[in-house]
Amino acid sequence: MLDFIVKRLLQVVLVVFLALTVVFFLIRLSGDPTTLFLPPDAPREQIEEYRELLGFNRPLYVQYGDFMFNAVQGDFGQSLRSGEDALSLVLQRMPATFQLAISALFLSIIIAIPLGVLSAYKRNTFFDKASVGITVIGQAIPNFWFGLILIYIFAAQLQLLPSSGGGSLSHLVLPVITLALYSVSRFVRFTRSAMLDVLSKDYIRTSRAAGAPTSRLIMKYALKNSLIPIITLVALDLGVLLGGAVITEAVFSWPGVGRLLHQSLMNRDFPIVLAGVFIIAIIYAVINFIADILYAYVNPQIRVK
Amino acid sequence: MLRKKGVIAFLLVMVLVLAACTEGTNTDSTSNQSDSGEDGNGGPLVIGFEADASTLMANHDVNYTTDTLIRNIYDPLIDREGETGEFVPVLAEEWENIDELTWRLKLKEGVTFHNGAQFNADAVKYSIDYILNEENGSFYRSRWANVEEVVAVSEYEVEIHTSVPFPSMIQRIAEDLLIVEPGYVEEVGIEQASNEPVGTGAYTFVDWSRDNHLKLVAYEDYWQGSPDIQEVEFRIIPEFSARMSAFMSGEIHLFKNIPVDSVEQFDSEEIGEIASSRINYLALSNLVEGPLQDVKVRQAINYAIDADELLETVLNGYGTRITGPLSQINSDYTETEDYGYDPDLAVQLIEEAGYDPNELTLTLDTPSGRYPMDSHVAQAIASQLQSIGITVNVQVNEWGRHLEKIQNRETGDMYILGWGPAFDGQSTIENLFTQEAPYSSFYQEDIEEKITQTNQLFDQDERKAGYEEIQQDLVEQAAWVPLWQQADLYAISTSLNFTQRVDEKLNVYEMSWK
Repeated sequence: MLDFIVKRLLQVVLVVFLALTVVFFLIRLSGDPTTLFLPPDAPREQIEEYRELLGFNRPLYVQYGDFMFNAVQGDFGQSLRSGEDALSLVLQRMPATFQLAISALFLSIIIAIPLGVLSAYKRNTFFDKASVGITVIGQAIPNFWFGLILIYIFAAQLQLLPSSGGGSLSHLVLPVITLALYSVSRFVRFTRSAMLDVLSKDYIRTSRAAGAPTSRLIMKYALKNSLIPIITLVALDLGVLLGGAVITEAVFSWPGVGRLLHQSLMNRDFPIVLAGVFIIAIIYAVINFIADILYAYVNPQIRVK
Repeated sequence: MLRKKGVIAFLLVMVLVLAACTEGTNTDSTSNQSDSGEDGNGGPLVIGFEADASTLMANHDVNYTTDTLIRNIYDPLIDREGETGEFVPVLAEEWENIDELTWRLKLKEGVTFHNGAQFNADAVKYSIDYILNEENGSFYRSRWANVEEVVAVSEYEVEIHTSVPFPSMIQRIAEDLLIVEPGYVEEVGIEQASNEPVGTGAYTFVDWSRDNHLKLVAYEDYWQGSPDIQEVEFRIIPEFSARMSAFMSGEIHLFKNIPVDSVEQFDSEEIGEIASSRINYLALSNLVEGPLQDVKVRQAINYAIDADELLETVLNGYGTRITGPLSQINSDYTETEDYGYDPDLAVQLIEEAGYDPNELTLTLDTPSGRYPMDSHVAQAIASQLQSIGITVNVQVNEWGRHLEKIQNRETGDMYILGWGPAFDGQSTIENLFTQEAPYSSFYQEDIEEKITQTNQLFDQDERKAGYEEIQQDLVEQAAWVPLWQQADLYAISTSLNFTQRVDEKLNVYEMSWK
């Protein structure tokens, strides 16, 4: 087990390193940020002076080496625009993103898994067809559009909930529903097909013949065995959600990481972008790590391997 | 079974912990809908904003959003009158230039900062020195590079010494400089002062949650009298549709920049319109090799584009036509002749220049979403030029890329750009029509000479005459295709008194409840 963990940890380091490297060079392709920060009437020699001050006049590999050297020590530099520590700007946004992501995922799971199980159990009934139909629509609806419709109905027309911003529980309702819609649809479809797969297995038929009660049949025998693909999916979705749901955060003015990164990218505030990528890469890697351990719990065969 | 329960319990605890540690989870009343909602009089004024300030430190970030928000916290020495753009004294009562290299300002007495400290010449010196100090990394420094030294002559008198004659010093002071409290910044450090600002302005700082809201409350001892509106919240809502919904539900009372194609979704009494001092134009580059180096071809393009038609159809009439290099609000504006729309003459001129319009191919660069309907305008211009046979390739760029292309002279023959807010001839003409200035890509030696001469004049009448001549020259040379001054469109709650300003600022002190 220790071997397994060490190996996985090395993988985490590699993933983070590669992600930072790729993003470092990709954002440089977008050009030099100094032109965006200085007033448009700045003379050429001033632009050069700032390039020197910020280090953008050095060869790219020197900038890269310098960046990596500092990043290893946890120093991602200062925001080019405001001069504040880039990493702490990103970390300040994490709680808001966590809150949104975990709530959306939680809501998705408690709705989707029972729905998926029921759908599979009542296969080809009206209930099943309706639930499949609705989930297809749910997956097809664009996030931003659904968000705007919710705002229009619940904030602008009924005035039940605030349209935007963060701070209270009521601010959380609409963005969580918007985010959950997509995950719910995916989870329901996945749970249903995984359950169908398991329900057609011999051992289920045997248990049924042996007189096992339906609830036990589904909950203990079938669901547990169909959980593996669902765990993968949930882990992936959580990674996506924690990376910042850029569109949903923008529509609802949710002050999370996604918006910060999007804005920093548009402003070419490179240190913030790289600090954000660092955090997100770590989160992804850690979630995958946890998912692997959960597999082992759900399926002892993996543990043995 | 026990383990399973443990895992579930752990997850639940995690959810609760995460929910609890979220920033500002305490439901504070101002972000609560019913409070900020319909109760027009006396409640907090909520202004919707597209983006947030990057810092609350004054004199640091050259950025419309930052400047507009913090002008409610800090006062300038000199401001502009909201309707005409003329200079009005604020913390400076009088100013004069003693000689070509020295400006003297007499300051207002009896003004206090939010922390009780007295405003005086030291505060002015400190604020300008902040810009000049390389270590602070202020993006204003390029504009203030000519300032050599600031001297506090007495408690309420300050002198600014420049290295070269700097007639536009007052413009710089009015547009850039805000006064910070030296004692406070020194005590808490720049980082904290950037997050919890102290100024002499009409509002004191309460709370800033980045990309969420900025809350201010009236400064009771404000030297111009306590503000009418007691509480203000700038709420950051990046999406236009979300801003519109928030406005319709009464969550916000004011926001700027309604897209011209969405105006009809508002009641007419909720719309405020003003001609901005920001101009949009089609630059014709004579710095890149090509047919546009010939004045006849540039003139032909001016004749071939029907700007009135573009304004009417693409912008639904929201804008004010210009015919020369400056907006009508500009203090150095002079009337210039309009080329008008004459496609036949355009064809003739192109042929005279030795080109066949049907074989002419030009490239047109445009940003998307930076100026009202910019990329649509570009498409419409392309089709107007197409109608006299010219093939136009429209290239749509992301804003940062667009700017960079222009600065590095990598654009095609033409590009769409805006300039402003601009109130004086120098800040437009010098930055657009000289060889080093990138933003029009038009340069002619004799015109640059005139610009250099005029910029050094201190006599206002001589200056004006100089800029008038330059404007006529630029039109004659068809330096660009002048399009229009943008219309700034505001959504304003019917319970709010708000008069739009030509410089696009939102000074809450000037607003009141009905």
